Amino acid sequence: MIAALPPPPPAVEAPAPERSAGTTRQVRVAAAMTDARIRVDSSFSGASIVLYGAVFNPTDAPTDVVVVVRGPDAPVRLVKKTRNMGVWLNSRPVLFEGAPGFYLTASTRPLGDIADFGQLRRLGVGVDHLRINAPQESRTVTRYGVRDVVVSRLGEDYLDWRRAVIRLREAAALYDTDSDGVEFVDKGLFRAVIDLPAVAPTGQYSAEVWLFQDGEPVSVSNLTLTVEKVGFERDIFEFAHNRPWTYGVLCVLLAAFTGLVASRVFRRD
Amino acid sequence: MDIYLPIAEVSVNWPLLVLLGATVGFVSGLFGIGGGFLMAPILIFLGIPPAVAVASQASHVVASSTSGVISYTSQKAVDYRIGGVMAAGGVLGALAGVELFRYLRLLGQADLVVALSYLLFLGAIGTLMLYESLGQILRRIRGEVVPHKDRRRPLWLYGLPLRMRFPRSGLYISAIPPFALGAFAGVLSAIMGVGGGFILVPAMLYVLRMKASVVVGTSLFQIIITTAMTTILQAGRNQTVDIVLSTILLLGGVVGAQYGARWSGRFRAEELRAVLGLIVLLVGIQMGLELFVRPSDLFAFAPGVAQ
Repeated sequence: MIAALPPPPPAVEAPAPERSAGTTRQVRVAAAMTDARIRVDSSFSGASIVLYGAVFNPTDAPTDVVVVVRGPDAPVRLVKKTRNMGVWLNSRPVLFEGAPGFYLTASTRPLGDIADFGQLRRLGVGVDHLRINAPQESRTVTRYGVRDVVVSRLGEDYLDWRRAVIRLREAAALYDTDSDGVEFVDKGLFRAVIDLPAVAPTGQYSAEVWLFQDGEPVSVSNLTLTVEKVGFERDIFEFAHNRPWTYGVLCVLLAAFTGLVASRVFRRD
Repeated sequence: MDIYLPIAEVSVNWPLLVLLGATVGFVSGLFGIGGGFLMAPILIFLGIPPAVAVASQASHVVASSTSGVISYTSQKAVDYRIGGVMAAGGVLGALAGVELFRYLRLLGQADLVVALSYLLFLGAIGTLMLYESLGQILRRIRGEVVPHKDRRRPLWLYGLPLRMRFPRSGLYISAIPPFALGAFAGVLSAIMGVGGGFILVPAMLYVLRMKASVVVGTSLFQIIITTAMTTILQAGRNQTVDIVLSTILLLGGVVGAQYGARWSGRFRAEELRAVLGLIVLLVGIQMGLELFVRPSDLFAFAPGVAQ
């Protein structure tokens, strides 16, 4: 329903809220994570973090909690397959920016019930409200006398392309929308489980915990999460990227040496 | 039993990889081939990014070819002179191939070219091998006499300049055809991640008409040089070589190759060729099928974001 509407470019960027902002108001949220540092080593096969927190709500109006976990920005190039003379060929790749490498929302209710479209769009909450676009494809024209109208060279397919970015990342378990992922364990105490797949990108993650009341955001708590390669994995990765030629020569020598040893060990006498 | 691969950035079951290495090693030892054409598609199927799969398994080819060349050298079945000329071409071809592959990735057409090359080359070679070996098997069953082979070389091999003597291969031909053949195998090694033995061996046998006893050893020597060059270039230019992945594959691969080589004596040469031809043809068709089957998702990520 929401996805069917065209995404208008956001007029106002949501200002980066302070950690546990809204302290002047009565209603507020505080949150923390069991683990703020995920170590990717050779046994890494994904991670599961528990985010927990408390809601202070002296009023009678019910509140909703929305957790948004956002990975580092990872631009993607997308191709569309088209059929030419019986053969499926790739189109030229289109670069999409503004797509985080990991994006998860967990909430007490479906997002559409918690706040209206405009509010979610302004805050950038929900996969439909990610600011994914293809800046290299767009240009400004004057249309019907209106100056600086942004149009995309992708034309009417633009939404299909944009949705494909989300769909493909969802298929890789990198994007997720969990409409009952925030669970109240006691009055005012909630927890949410965040599952990072093994393919989750390394880097700085941010987690926003929004508190909504009557469809309005009343408080937010900001947390950070670091996913990094450690130990052997990190050494190999840095070696391969900092001294790529030495690394390549080493790989070949290792392979040739293994072959040499094997032929010695298995030599028939 | 999962292990996280630092360059591929995926988590895989390592005993499965050892088993895969051993199986492909066994096949390569049995048929006297590098086995790259088999390994790369399976790795991609297991979820390894194609660029990493193609680049990392090249070092598996280096290892199995090294142990092959050592045993062929002891049988004096390697012609280092013509192998050197081909390897020089191979290095040049690898340089061009890695750059071509980079360019194709930028265009988003790398997977198309890979699929097309597999379909074209493996399909053609597989069909030829199957046809030739099945014919030979049929003739043997019927008890017909094998027709005398025409040993004449194509005349253009003599018309070209830069003639060299290759005593061990029994050749006195221009250096240009072996050089060109090596260069072609080098390009394929960069794009398909294969050693190119399945192209080199028939071409050396039927076009250059080298002495059959030195063909396999010499092609393995050329393959070592070319794939070593490809590995270094892929690591240096694209950072797509995963040393952990290639080491796991190597461990199974070298053991499997030795057992494969021991088993190869139990079968007739034409039967082995028929089976190999069938495998080559099936892999080619499987890889080429994606060009004709409607994809489940019309959109796909193109690798190689400018970072």
